[in-house]
Amino acid sequence: MRNILLVAKREFREQIRGRAFLLSTILLPVLFACVFGVGYLSSLTLGSGKHLAIASNDPALANNIKMRLQRKKESKTDVDIYAPVTAADRAHVDEQLKAKSLDGLLDVESTSTGIPTVTYTSPSAGDFITGGRLEASVDDALVKEKLTGSGVQPDQADALIKGVKVESFQMKKDGSRVKSNAIASFYKGYVMAILLSMTTIIYGLNVARSIIQEKTSRIFEVMLSIAKPGDLLAGKLIGVGAVGLTQILIWVFAGAAIIATPVAAAQMTGNFEVHFSWVEAVLFPVYFVLGYFLYSSLFAGLAATCETEQELQMFTPLAAVPVWLSFALIMVVINDSNSVWSIAASFFPPCAPIIMFLRMGSQVPPFWQFAVSIGLMILSIWAVLWFSARLYRIGILMYGKRATLPEIMRWIRYS
Amino acid sequence: MPVVELAGVTKAYESKIAVNNLSLSIDAGQMFGLLGPNGAGKTSSIRMIVGMTIPDSGSIRLFGKPFERKSLERIAYLPEERGLYKKMKVIDQLVFFGELHGISPSESKKRATDWAKRLEIDESLLKKTEELSKGMQQKIQFISCLLHDPGLIIMDEPFSGLDPINAVLLEKVLIELKNQGKAIVFSTHRMDQVEKLCDAICLIDQGRAVLAGKVREIKSSYPRDRVIVEFEGSAEFLKSPDIAEAENFSGHAQITLKPGADAQKLLHQAAAVANIYRFEMVEPSLEEIFIKTVGGKANA
Repeated sequence: MRNILLVAKREFREQIRGRAFLLSTILLPVLFACVFGVGYLSSLTLGSGKHLAIASNDPALANNIKMRLQRKKESKTDVDIYAPVTAADRAHVDEQLKAKSLDGLLDVESTSTGIPTVTYTSPSAGDFITGGRLEASVDDALVKEKLTGSGVQPDQADALIKGVKVESFQMKKDGSRVKSNAIASFYKGYVMAILLSMTTIIYGLNVARSIIQEKTSRIFEVMLSIAKPGDLLAGKLIGVGAVGLTQILIWVFAGAAIIATPVAAAQMTGNFEVHFSWVEAVLFPVYFVLGYFLYSSLFAGLAATCETEQELQMFTPLAAVPVWLSFALIMVVINDSNSVWSIAASFFPPCAPIIMFLRMGSQVPPFWQFAVSIGLMILSIWAVLWFSARLYRIGILMYGKRATLPEIMRWIRYS
Repeated sequence: MPVVELAGVTKAYESKIAVNNLSLSIDAGQMFGLLGPNGAGKTSSIRMIVGMTIPDSGSIRLFGKPFERKSLERIAYLPEERGLYKKMKVIDQLVFFGELHGISPSESKKRATDWAKRLEIDESLLKKTEELSKGMQQKIQFISCLLHDPGLIIMDEPFSGLDPINAVLLEKVLIELKNQGKAIVFSTHRMDQVEKLCDAICLIDQGRAVLAGKVREIKSSYPRDRVIVEFEGSAEFLKSPDIAEAENFSGHAQITLKPGADAQKLLHQAAAVANIYRFEMVEPSLEEIFIKTVGGKANA
């Protein structure tokens, strides 16, 4: 035990003192803030600044659609109307589309059934934001036309079309209702999941790199004459894990301190209004530790079979695939955090930390699901450690070339 | 009581037998040379002594007891490839190794500083290891394995990377340690150093001990069939039928006599045709014995 703690202490001290720790502690949150800031700011202007044309044989309907497209000032949409439209108008619009001086043409043709045929032509294939706005505007304009045609006053029709705003609340276990914000909750879960996946992978790979460096420098020859291979591995995993945990705690405390300032508090409203529960505060480090041990113990074993960091890169998809899989399930989890898929994914150890935090974004899962997910993770860590310790024990003393699969299988059998 | 005792130790890796029925004994206060060509089984033997690997059969006793991990606390191991943490400060590294050997940080620091002064490297203690030359790193590695005052010191190529001045310094320290009663085992390719420093050797070839014993006894067991002659005059005597092989370097001849040849007769023949300044019958060197024993295939 003494040797484990000494090795862990050395790893911790050396990494904490290193420039990489300082830089990643500061730069990673800054990078995150920049990515999300850029994403948010760009979303504000999505679908705005467009130049559209409406061609129709119904001038009233065309004007109504134009009015609705320009209703929001921030949409900054220029709309040219060709109603009733002529062949010359069509040729002119086609030329504009070809020259890309026009972003799209909405063709609205009234029919005898009362429901017009609507087509949209654009030089761009993937402009779904504008497509959505056009659909909503055409729908509203048609409804208004029908309502006013039935004798409803135009302002009354507008009020009806405007609809109602649904305010959402979340029922807590104690029966209390709290105002909920789906977007803020989603982003909270999303950010925590990303942070969790990044840190577990970064520190898991950190362990692997450290093992390869020690293998290359032949330090293992000296260390193994003093300590057992299991002690060295355990010390390394604990030491590097403690560095990761320290970094997370620094971020949590720094984040809490920033949020506590009056300036930040004033900004944390509306879509930015997020609440962290004690469950999240406890589970975040728990899932970090479990995720870290799962990935780092796997990479420790694999690193012992490699000679260089380039050889190790061959194994990095093993860390990336569960992350891709987790984020591929994001829509399933957000839409129904209690669906079979969501629950199953949160029980699958490589995905569990990410999926659990995505689920917690919308609703805290029942206690038994946490227990099963954590239990399964502990079991898989034990299994991976069993496998990795065997590779590690032999691999760290094998030099010259990367081990082949048959060799790895033999190492596992021998030890 | 021997410090190290190997009895019929065998170790195989898959189909390759690395060490085959090896037996040897090393006493306290003895400098022991473990020799052999590359791949002979020296490192495999050392790895078993320091507990890195376990023998398939046979037994290892350390300090008079069957192998136990606790004995490793009294062993120092300096591997051939130097293993140090490159980014760590030298003093931190030495304290870390001291702590691993069960010495308190303050005592480790004190011992590290004392050794560094003695090996004239105390100015490097606050530097990072990567800033030091290969020779200086070698000295640091040497200090790191002596901090816990071991009773058995095992070194693989301890002189590699050292300049002649530092090699002499290390030799002096090793002799001092030996005189303190410590058993020292080293494996080297430098036969001159083995001849100068070692009391006993074990020559391993293909995992087997092919020659073992005290250096003096081994050398005297070989016939004195080599003659060195320094002369001025005719070199006709080098054509004597008693000579198996002769090399003449302008008045300095190295001669190997045929078995049973009479050296005195050769001296008379030489004196008849030349002025003889030196006529010395010498023992074969360890290097010659080594080459002769392993059939000239050694590259050690």
